[in-house]
Amino acid sequence: MQNIYEVQSANKRKSAFILIVFLLFTTVVIYVLAQAFAFYFGYEPGGVGFIGLAFVVSGLMSFGSYWYSDKIVLAISSARPADRKSEFDFYTVSENLAIGTGIPKPKLYVIEDSAPNAFATGRDPEHAVICATTGLLQKLNRTELEGVLAHELSHIKNYDIRLMSVVSVLVGTIALMADWFLRISWRGGRGKDRDRGQLGVLFLILGLVFAILSPIIAQLIQLAISRRREFTADAGSVAITRQAQGLITALEKISSDHEALEAANKATAHLYIINPFKEKGRGAIDWFSGLFNTHPPIEERLHALHKMA
Amino acid sequence: MFPILLLVFIGVLAVWLVSTYNFFVSSKARIKAAVQEIGNQLKRQADLIPNLESSAKGYLKHEKGIYKDLTDARSAVASALKSGDVQKMADAGSKLASLIPSLQILVESNPELKASEVVAKLMDELRDTSDKVMFARRLVIDLTADFNVKRVSFPSNLVASIFSFAEQPGLITPTEGEHVTVGEGDLKTPKVKLD
Repeated sequence: MQNIYEVQSANKRKSAFILIVFLLFTTVVIYVLAQAFAFYFGYEPGGVGFIGLAFVVSGLMSFGSYWYSDKIVLAISSARPADRKSEFDFYTVSENLAIGTGIPKPKLYVIEDSAPNAFATGRDPEHAVICATTGLLQKLNRTELEGVLAHELSHIKNYDIRLMSVVSVLVGTIALMADWFLRISWRGGRGKDRDRGQLGVLFLILGLVFAILSPIIAQLIQLAISRRREFTADAGSVAITRQAQGLITALEKISSDHEALEAANKATAHLYIINPFKEKGRGAIDWFSGLFNTHPPIEERLHALHKMA
Repeated sequence: MFPILLLVFIGVLAVWLVSTYNFFVSSKARIKAAVQEIGNQLKRQADLIPNLESSAKGYLKHEKGIYKDLTDARSAVASALKSGDVQKMADAGSKLASLIPSLQILVESNPELKASEVVAKLMDELRDTSDKVMFARRLVIDLTADFNVKRVSFPSNLVASIFSFAEQPGLITPTEGEHVTVGEGDLKTPKVKLD
């Protein structure tokens, strides 16, 4: 038996730790690549200019998906608005949980798909959307639905969509800088003067190593953040509903269902309550592929929930 | 170097002081709003139940007893709302909510009632309305707990004591009584009679 408040603060600490690691990593990578750029072109501001450019390009690419996250995702998933009469439990449970957490009721949408799943999106609680499949609404009872929707509501309340957008802008910045650096160094360079000094050579080599490795490392940290936020949302669900059993049986039901969700694709996968592409695997391969997952393994989530129950 | 460090320190301290102070005053306002929300949900409940009653009247006409209880509970809510006392409202609300299980038993034991869509809808709405009141109360409990935890924990307790923020009462629950003691009857294994 774990106290839910302890679990929540433990999750907050771990989340903060990963984020600090991520920010430190980003700073170091950007610094090294900027220095490498500067030495490569032989003048100082070159590096800063490239950071700025990469940041702006990456920001522009992510801004649309952040600002219009609700509209884009709904259009991709071809969802329709939920109706109080025909989706009574979905509608009223969301309404009630919104009362209980003190945030406005999110807009509710339904995807016609028999695979049970649900996701939340939107840049802030005022523009939040919760989307559920018809399969989820049919297969879960009211208590289980309460667990799932409380999980989604905690994502909204914790501003997870905003957090993941900021993280993906930074990951994009690193990827762009690394890509540009590899391109120019591949071409052999146009610097005629070879006397850059030892420090310059060091930064060029480091830059090359960082350009190759850092995009993948940044992405792995991004996925680790995503998995940590899932644990946090599970704990948040227990804090809102004051019981873990609803979410436990709901997760068991959803994960034992082997239908693949047709509306999901790689771009929207991280939003769902359970990874819509049901992957199977064991042992070392499982652990390795686990690094690339947006969601923690279902067994680990159930284990954490059982400790709270 | 030293004066700059001092300045940074004072700046950080000021930001922390302002944000902690703002936490206390804003959560006080939020608690007040959450208490009003309980009243709002009870009002909704009191408005809803007569409608449900009249729509299900035909089905429930043999059950005069529960009917009278419902009417009584509703008028208790109405008078509590008029008085504006949150505690009275909550009491009246729980009186109304306590009727729901007996209504459920009534419906379950009567196949004709159970099959009726109107009655099923009535039960859904009754459960929903009592959930709404429960969640409105829960928000008061949670917000009050946040406030009171910050008020006593270090270092925010310093700000709380400078401005002498009082402990928030939240949902008033008697600290003594049957619900916190274990009586003779509670120790026995519950017997369920099915027939």
